[in-house]
Amino acid sequence: MIDSILLVDDEDLFHLVFEDACSLLDISLSLNALNSSDQAAKLFQKWFQDGDDSDKPECVFVDLNIIGSSFDGIELIRKINFEYGNHVVVGIISSSNEPEEQAKAVQAGAQFWIIKSDDIEPRLEEFRKDYEGYKNRTLPFKVYK
Amino acid sequence: MIKLDKNSENNLIKLFDSKNIGIEGNIIKLFETDNDEFKSYLTKCSEKDKDSRRKRLEITKKIQLQNSELSNLNVENQKMMEDLQLTLKEAEEQKTQIEKQNGELMDWRVENEKIQQELQKEMIKSEQSRIQSETAKTNALNDLDILQKRNQTELISNIVKVALYIIIGVGIVTTGVYVFTLLMGKDTQVISATWSNIFGILLTNAFSIVGTIMGIKYATENKQ
Repeated sequence: MIDSILLVDDEDLFHLVFEDACSLLDISLSLNALNSSDQAAKLFQKWFQDGDDSDKPECVFVDLNIIGSSFDGIELIRKINFEYGNHVVVGIISSSNEPEEQAKAVQAGAQFWIIKSDDIEPRLEEFRKDYEGYKNRTLPFKVYK
Repeated sequence: MIKLDKNSENNLIKLFDSKNIGIEGNIIKLFETDNDEFKSYLTKCSEKDKDSRRKRLEITKKIQLQNSELSNLNVENQKMMEDLQLTLKEAEEQKTQIEKQNGELMDWRVENEKIQQELQKEMIKSEQSRIQSETAKTNALNDLDILQKRNQTELISNIVKVALYIIIGVGIVTTGVYVFTLLMGKDTQVISATWSNIFGILLTNAFSIVGTIMGIKYATENKQ
């Protein structure tokens, strides 16, 4: 089970869906959700600068297009990986399934791409099984369709 | 992990049994116990929590779907509004263009009417000029005719006068010679015959001249 998850998504309703799905599937113990990539970047910057990462999430799910933010999900992943330390499992959760965007996400250091849909639980279940591979960085980039 | 004392576990179980109030959320997963009764309590709480989460997830998904549909409808509506606005704009532009064309047509019409009125005025003027010229022509012809007639009359009058003078002169001379002969007591046999002969000829010629002149005059009048 993942200790803590951070979800960065502009859709509040999806926060509830994701939280309930994760709880039902016993994926995580705690889940924190943010609406903007700017807020998430600030948190990671703080953890990086302070050196105190006790409340840092173990895994981060980022939406591709975050309305109201100054940069998109791929840029946030790039910042998390290359500016604020690369110690979390991070990937995209989006309704988009464009290979070009996925290639950009890989370059930014994303480890997975989960496609959002009405029936997200099977994908999260599959992700839960693969999680140890992402944590150990032994599993390559994967798209959960 | 969290471990409660026996008393707390019993109190939680009693609360659940009496009022159906149990612990909720992921905290249930953090409790550990050796008490089978509390284990059963935790299982019940977990199932209850999962049921409520499942229900909430279903409802949330429905709302999410409805939101998505509403969002799509909103996009369609916005597109329709944009199309409508575009159509309205085009219609307004066409209306403006038609109004402009109408204005131009009205101007043309007014101008045409003005030109038509001017043409009518010019036509009237032209007609008046034609009538005037015809009148002038008629007058000129009349004048010419009068002049010709006067000339003819004068000529006739002169001819008549000359002819009458000649006739009268010849008559007077012949009569004078005849009277002289009578007064002188000379033989008048020849002269009287000659006088009467000449007088007859002169009268005949005089009437002939007058008749000829009258005939010419009559013929000239008929030709005109």
